[in-house]
Amino acid sequence: MKDMTHSADAATVEEALAADNHQGVVDSEGATALAMQNTLLTPRFYTTDFDEMDRIDVSSVREDWDKLIAQMKSDPNKGHFKKNEDWDHVDWDGMEPKLKREFIDFLVSSCTAEFSGCVLYKEMKRRGNNEDIVTLFQLMARDEARHAGFINDALREAGIAVNLGFLTQKKKYTYFRPKFIYYATYLSEKIGYARYITIYRHLEANPELRFHPIFKWFREWCNDEFSHGEAFALLMKTDPKLTQSFANKLWIKFFLTAVYSTMYVRDHQRPAFHAALGVDPDWYAHEVFTKTSEISRQVFPITLDIDHPRWQKGLEALQRANVDLADAKQTGKVFKRMGATVRAAAAFIGLFTIPAVKHQVPVSTRLEPAY
Amino acid sequence: MGWLTKDFETAPCEVEVSHCFDSLHAHVKFLNGAVINPGDEVQVQGPPVMAPYGEIVREERIARITRASKLEQLWTRMTGDFEFMELCEFSFSEEIMPHAAPRAAHKEGVPA
Repeated sequence: MKDMTHSADAATVEEALAADNHQGVVDSEGATALAMQNTLLTPRFYTTDFDEMDRIDVSSVREDWDKLIAQMKSDPNKGHFKKNEDWDHVDWDGMEPKLKREFIDFLVSSCTAEFSGCVLYKEMKRRGNNEDIVTLFQLMARDEARHAGFINDALREAGIAVNLGFLTQKKKYTYFRPKFIYYATYLSEKIGYARYITIYRHLEANPELRFHPIFKWFREWCNDEFSHGEAFALLMKTDPKLTQSFANKLWIKFFLTAVYSTMYVRDHQRPAFHAALGVDPDWYAHEVFTKTSEISRQVFPITLDIDHPRWQKGLEALQRANVDLADAKQTGKVFKRMGATVRAAAAFIGLFTIPAVKHQVPVSTRLEPAY
Repeated sequence: MGWLTKDFETAPCEVEVSHCFDSLHAHVKFLNGAVINPGDEVQVQGPPVMAPYGEIVREERIARITRASKLEQLWTRMTGDFEFMELCEFSFSEEIMPHAAPRAAHKEGVPA
């Protein structure tokens, strides 16, 4: 049997139009719409102090480290990211347009995130000389590329082609200090786990709201995120200064505030997506923050006081400022833009200055996914 | 490398683009041991390396490396950290789909 051609594979608009899944599109408007559905992935490129990373010595956490690496090497999720009979038919054409747009935006940004993680980890692997570190980054790059491939496949079903042609564009390499990579990626992996598992459990209880089969894969998916976070927790544990010095505690607080508030603002930009899942974004945010805070106590000596009366108010102020900012950018209103920027900064400072909750970090770092 | 002047160099490289279900990735490996420093720019020469779905494409190409000036390198070291939010999945972004994508590509100087 001849394979069905798919517009997502097409290199040109003409090929896309001729593909089996797009037989009906003949007018120029349709052609333009198709051409636009070629989404160029634009990951960022980073460099760091590779010598400093080479000096990491995991011998103080050797036992936990070896166990974690052995578990990642055994690759328990190999074979999980395959479509099987659980992958129900998706009625993309019947999907409400606003929901479809937000959901595709969700998939594209997830795919870009996995892809950027893969690029970053691969670069670390290539430039490093420390065997422990190189092994870890190689394993994490494998997982991220696998996740990106899985999301890409879901996008293809919707007729969205991901374009990997970015390498022939000019790419600037920006710089991160290693510790900022640890804080940012640790939090990003752990909050990613909390986000995926919260949706998974919610849909487990309310299966009728599951409008796409990809959510069924979220549990194993987020277990990968969880393991990656564990590795960064152990890395931070090898150098107590990273989490105990006064300045670094402030950095940790800054990263926590920035990551939490960005998630809040970003999720509120997808109302139809959350409505379809039957999830109130405010409830969801609080749930995810609670889980992430509980987990991050494994290595961070502080957590944010998310039940402080100023917390929710501050998030809402930041969200409103962000909406106005987006509107001002679109309409070109300079003063409105300046005002919104100042309000956003003030809201962020308000959140950052809420006193943090201090606690003792446990001697043993390792955790298992429990939600 | 001067304090204010940029240098250019070219380096042979291997480009690997995988467009498979198992792995979606794209990497550049320099074959002459060239090392990229903060603020440097890299551009692989030639037409975009496109892998059809289900395939891995490996090609040897030439990359043009624009070395940042000393000053720019210092600046990138000092300020690069603040772009960390891009490491997080939900960083602030303009609307991606569907109308913004070709525009973004165009901005980078590559035809969509």
